[in-house]
Amino acid sequence: MKKLFSFVLVLLLVAGALAACSSQESASSKSTSGESSGTSENDDGKFPNKPINVIVAYDAGGGTDTTARTLQPYLEKELGVPVNVINKPGGSGWVGWTEIANAEPDGYTIGYLNSPNFASGLVNPTMQRGIDLDSFTILANHVADPGAIVIRADEDRFTNFKELIDYAKKHELTTTATGVAGDDHLVTLKLNQKLDTKFRAIQFEGTAESRSSFLGGHVDVLITSVGEAYSMHQNNQLKVVAITAKEKSSFLSDVPTVKEAGFDEIISQSTRGLVAPKGLPEEKVEILQDALEKAINNTEHQKKMKELGTQVLYANGDEYLKLLQQDIEDVKGLKDLLGW
Amino acid sequence: MDAFNLLMSGFEIALTWENLLYCLIGVSIGMMVGILPGLGPSAGTALLIPMTFGMDPISAIVMLSGIFYGSMYGGTITTVLVNVPGEAASVITSLDGYPMAKQGRAGVALGISAIGSFIGGTVAIIGVAVVAPQLVKFALAFGPPEFFALIVFGMTMVVGLAGKSIIRGSIAVVLGLVLAMVGMAPGSGVVRFSFGIPHLIDGLNFVTIAMGLFGLSEILLGIEQQMKKPEKPPVVKGLFPSRKELRPSLMSIGRGTGLGFFMGLIPGTSSVVPALMSYSIEKRISKDPKRFGNGAIEGVAGPETANNSFCGGALIPLFLLGIPSSATMAVLLGAFILHGLQPGPTLFVRHPDFVWAVIASMFIGNLLLLFMNLPMAKMWAKVASVPFKLLFPIIIAISIVGTYSISNSLWDVGGLLVFGLLGYFLKKADIPVAPVALMFILGDLMEKSLLQSLALYKGDFFAIFTRPLSGTLLALSVLVITLSIVAGFKSKKDNLVDVEA
Repeated sequence: MKKLFSFVLVLLLVAGALAACSSQESASSKSTSGESSGTSENDDGKFPNKPINVIVAYDAGGGTDTTARTLQPYLEKELGVPVNVINKPGGSGWVGWTEIANAEPDGYTIGYLNSPNFASGLVNPTMQRGIDLDSFTILANHVADPGAIVIRADEDRFTNFKELIDYAKKHELTTTATGVAGDDHLVTLKLNQKLDTKFRAIQFEGTAESRSSFLGGHVDVLITSVGEAYSMHQNNQLKVVAITAKEKSSFLSDVPTVKEAGFDEIISQSTRGLVAPKGLPEEKVEILQDALEKAINNTEHQKKMKELGTQVLYANGDEYLKLLQQDIEDVKGLKDLLGW
Repeated sequence: MDAFNLLMSGFEIALTWENLLYCLIGVSIGMMVGILPGLGPSAGTALLIPMTFGMDPISAIVMLSGIFYGSMYGGTITTVLVNVPGEAASVITSLDGYPMAKQGRAGVALGISAIGSFIGGTVAIIGVAVVAPQLVKFALAFGPPEFFALIVFGMTMVVGLAGKSIIRGSIAVVLGLVLAMVGMAPGSGVVRFSFGIPHLIDGLNFVTIAMGLFGLSEILLGIEQQMKKPEKPPVVKGLFPSRKELRPSLMSIGRGTGLGFFMGLIPGTSSVVPALMSYSIEKRISKDPKRFGNGAIEGVAGPETANNSFCGGALIPLFLLGIPSSATMAVLLGAFILHGLQPGPTLFVRHPDFVWAVIASMFIGNLLLLFMNLPMAKMWAKVASVPFKLLFPIIIAISIVGTYSISNSLWDVGGLLVFGLLGYFLKKADIPVAPVALMFILGDLMEKSLLQSLALYKGDFFAIFTRPLSGTLLALSVLVITLSIVAGFKSKKDNLVDVEA
């Protein structure tokens, strides 16, 4: 009997230990917001002097999470304090973003914003959000992944972007999307708006699903991002015909941008950047922005990101704010096509 | 016999002592992750990826995939012992597994699922090794319409779980569908029933629903029972099924293996679909379907096997197409790329040592799990005989910690409590809870694939019937329902047996 009881106890302890890593993190996040309610007066001038929490609004192991964890050591080096990555998934990102916006603006809680997902949520009339772009202090952009327009390797109706567009002006073609007004959906809508094509987007739950429907021939054109497509392009499993960016991607040097292919410029990309709650004191903004600039531009960090297939695009606070505002404007301009 | 030689060289790599060690670590962690409700296999794998950064890619993947299938084993343990299914597929196991534990036969239930999982897992791996390239076409043939038809077919299977009263069963089914509707609508992005709560934009979380409806409600009922008339915990009986049970369970294992493997090929299928189908098939062909829901061993053996061979089959789309068929697979895919291995048709050609070593390690891992689980099943089974006043608080504590870890927030803990109470009242009203949980998953998948199909055919519903695969599946569904109705009319006594979950 005694043995059994101790066995169950051990079981419980292990359970506690395994859960501890996550609960510890959030406990510390709570304590930071608790302590700092007395604002910066208690901070004896020096910032930062305790761990900084970076909120990621998606699951551990996802793209944003990997991005954050890759930057983590370099940011720690610049700031001189530990940096914790905390996952607050749920609500298509809004759980985490709301958490960032509502955190104490003491500089110890910052987080990742994902656009255009954030922008489309702001414009979606059925979404009751309670926060806005003004709820944040914009720090810096970290990565950008341009959209990729992809056809099957054995496609015979069209073999390059120009032929695809010519074909799509006369015939209806289906494209993939992974979320209403998500970055890939916006590519389709912008093509229809600017190039007068007849693409019809089908919504899928994620890239895995959209890609298998595309490879199986159920959907004509795959719209995805450079990061998702480049290695399969190099393996000739599919063919990226154009990317929706200002310049060629270093991952796909043989693929033109929409403009280079002879059409009006179309820019659509998903970005991940860092923000803090609004009301963050100016001197702390500067310290954080400085550290982020150095960490993001660290060559070792950039090399690691490249191995992961993620394109680093540093933008300072002002530039990043403009980027976000542009995304919101873009989605607003497509309201009619979205039926919002 | 080229594949055989390659497999042998794979074993050579997998049997080096460090890879063996990583395999052991992987499956042990996986078991732990599976036992802890809430901390699902995908989170477990993701959290450990950083640990593998400095490792050789083969060792890394060997360990990570060990976590993956190890967690499948572990999930069964909590389901059978305390009726807390940590993941979707285990819901089915709880139908007969938990009643078996109540009869003191938890050891048998765990033993047979360990054996079934081993057979299902290894046969699926052999399948991957031998026929993988030929099957890729089959995987891709499943577009949205086929998927929709498959889910509809799956739903007809839920009818069998509806319980003794059609009305009560229907209430459960509709409740499940309503819960599935919360959150952003696929296709239009309209947010439904979120009441301005950010957590609800993505819909409800399955783990909270399953743990509340099954686990917590069971504890509430148990506490009530204890206050009225204290019951002694069941005495633990043997580990092996009786000779009479052995043959039917082996047959179920065989059927579950084939079913799970083919379902695994279809990207995007939830592992609950093969488990549900296997259960339903077992019940239909059983001579005495009344036993199901009251501790029928086939009801544990079939679905558990199907679940594990599903995981094996799912490796084919992952290896050859780079398409993960579940969240955990997606995490594994990430690990592949991180270690410089690009999945695709060329993976077998460019990194044969890697592919075959991983396949070989899965053999070994499954064997390790079998050796770990058979003796341990007896030990685990004793948990069921812990006095309730000690056991209940521990289960509640583990459940709460587990749900908290889903998104590091108390929101999910609240969900657990709400669904626990809901489950308690449903059980009091004799409404089966299994259909609620199953319809929650299937409803979501069905809505999505229906909307995709309609978007593809510009709103023409009947076009779905014109495609050979989807047409056949839909015709089968109609047939199953018609047969059920006819059978219902024939025997005045309702032939739908009560499956109290």
